[in-house]
Amino acid sequence: MTPLAIAGIGVCATGMANWMQAQSVLQSAVLPSLDPLPRLAADCLPPVERRRANATARLAISAAMQAIQGMPPEDVARLATVFSSSDGDGEVLANMLAALAQPQVVLSPTLFHNSVFNAPAGYWSIGSQSRAASITVSAGASSFVAGLKEALGQVLATGSAVLYVAYDAPFPVALESFACSAEPFACALHLTPVAESRVDGYGRVEALRTDPDRRKHDPPPLLGLRHRFSGNAAADALPLLQAIAHRRRSEVAFPYLDGSLLWLDYLP
Amino acid sequence: MTNACGVGTGEVLRALQAGASGLRRNDFEPTASLATWIGRVDAVDASRLPEAFAAYDCRNNRLAQLALEQNGFMAAVRRAVQTHGADRVGVFLGTTTSGILATELAYRAIARNEARSGDVLSPELYRCRHSLFATTEFVREYLRLTGPAATISTACSSSAKVFAMASRAIAAGDCDAAVVGGVDSLAMSTLFGFHSLELLSRHPCRPCAVDRDGISIGEAAGFALLDPRAEAAVRFAGAGESSDAYHMSSPHPEGAGAARAMREALDNAQLAARDIDYINLHGTASRPNDAAEDRAIFSVFGAVTKVSSTKGWTGHTLGAAGIMGALIGELSLRQQWLPGTQNCERVDPVLACAVVLHSRPERLRRVLCNAFGFGGTNCSLVLEHTP
Repeated sequence: MTPLAIAGIGVCATGMANWMQAQSVLQSAVLPSLDPLPRLAADCLPPVERRRANATARLAISAAMQAIQGMPPEDVARLATVFSSSDGDGEVLANMLAALAQPQVVLSPTLFHNSVFNAPAGYWSIGSQSRAASITVSAGASSFVAGLKEALGQVLATGSAVLYVAYDAPFPVALESFACSAEPFACALHLTPVAESRVDGYGRVEALRTDPDRRKHDPPPLLGLRHRFSGNAAADALPLLQAIAHRRRSEVAFPYLDGSLLWLDYLP
Repeated sequence: MTNACGVGTGEVLRALQAGASGLRRNDFEPTASLATWIGRVDAVDASRLPEAFAAYDCRNNRLAQLALEQNGFMAAVRRAVQTHGADRVGVFLGTTTSGILATELAYRAIARNEARSGDVLSPELYRCRHSLFATTEFVREYLRLTGPAATISTACSSSAKVFAMASRAIAAGDCDAAVVGGVDSLAMSTLFGFHSLELLSRHPCRPCAVDRDGISIGEAAGFALLDPRAEAAVRFAGAGESSDAYHMSSPHPEGAGAARAMREALDNAQLAARDIDYINLHGTASRPNDAAEDRAIFSVFGAVTKVSSTKGWTGHTLGAAGIMGALIGELSLRQQWLPGTQNCERVDPVLACAVVLHSRPERLRRVLCNAFGFGGTNCSLVLEHTP
């Protein structure tokens, strides 16, 4: 299979505001305490959009910004994007549902345009001035790997780099019956054809497979970290991020539809 | 294909050829205070999902089932399963709001003290009816497919992009064939949402017209089976995708992103602008959108290529708009006929393109369909008649 390079990486989650912090959490022997995220700046956005973009878009954008750090703006402006999320923006959803339940419905236009599932991708394209293709996908609990599949497929089909951003944000208390995520988690991977990759990249991955090759190493256990982000589909990235943090050749498994698994080879 | 003009392709074609719009005064109860016109599918109200799918029973999934049961689609999927295996057939569907109406009504009942939160809001309501993946999961199980699946939700370009994503999945060897489509049903959030942006017309929408004053929202479901090894009268020839990088809810005034999507679709299909005989417009009847799309088309095709918008028949069906454009384009190619622009009496003189007002027979080899959406997302598809 054709390997792809991970040229950039970003993480934004409870206890892991950036890849540096994520690495130290992923490398630690005992699960450390995880601090809540501060308000995220999203300072790549123009002032109007920065004011309008809400927490979920900021979460996704913060991870994306890390993954393209150091790239010339003109290259970022050519970068196609794939976004994935299981549940989108729960805060916007709860506000909209509350407004719609009033006897006199008054909905704010900003709330409505923020309610489209591709809002983070839209904000990103404005902030990065990218007119390249962008897609936002969901596959419920399998959203992370469904988006990764599309991102890998795009790099292989076009021979061009893709920025993959997976995010899921906490749902507010009003919607806790939906059993969605309680903690924010976003991860971004800048995926490029191997020939384009920089020497100081983050290793390589091969196309996803359905069959495991048991001869290879399994990733080490995750110290209860995945459990901490239960209900957050984007946190399915954790085993891959852990393999990268350890620079360890691994065969990473992702839960897919109908209880199946998809496998990805990580080569440091 | 199922929309306000009818259940199944036959009914839709008759309405398009007869110039009979499916739009009506808004009588969708939860939004009845809005003085606008809608494209409602009556048959949804009477339909129910089979007992085995009770957890999925909601307006959006009923609309999906209605469309699946038309025009021999179930049999075509069965044949694909026999050829490739159920695990080799993917499902890629577009939607903007899925079954959100179920939660909107539950919230309203709670606010009116007609229901208790704990009784009506549940993980099952969310997963099987409301969530973005709900309809894709339902369709996959209804068709008994076990291949890859995803919902694409990029506002009103969603169900055009399904063609691009499914083609990539097939090219990558992820599956051999794919069900693509789009389903969006009437909901409070979209009707009140477009009202908040002052985009709803008080009349049946009049795309491209000098007096156009906004959109009419419709509901629709449509499906197609992409199978590179099957023989069909019409084939999907290519897709182009782009972003505006301009504004969250207004199009780029010059249609720069839209033009890029059309150019990329032509490149992807290895065609030149002159190879396209007809363009099915996104054509929502919003003043800035129609003008921007016109400029985009003029910059790529000049003023000769025939264009029309079918939104005056169906309304703007949001996440199903892409598949409606594609299926009407497919119908045009099979029938060697092109639809006009319902409700448009006088074309806006500002528009440079050749807007076709009345449906008529026409020799067509290839059509291009546009679908653009909030967040500045654009997708164009090329369909080709196979000789």
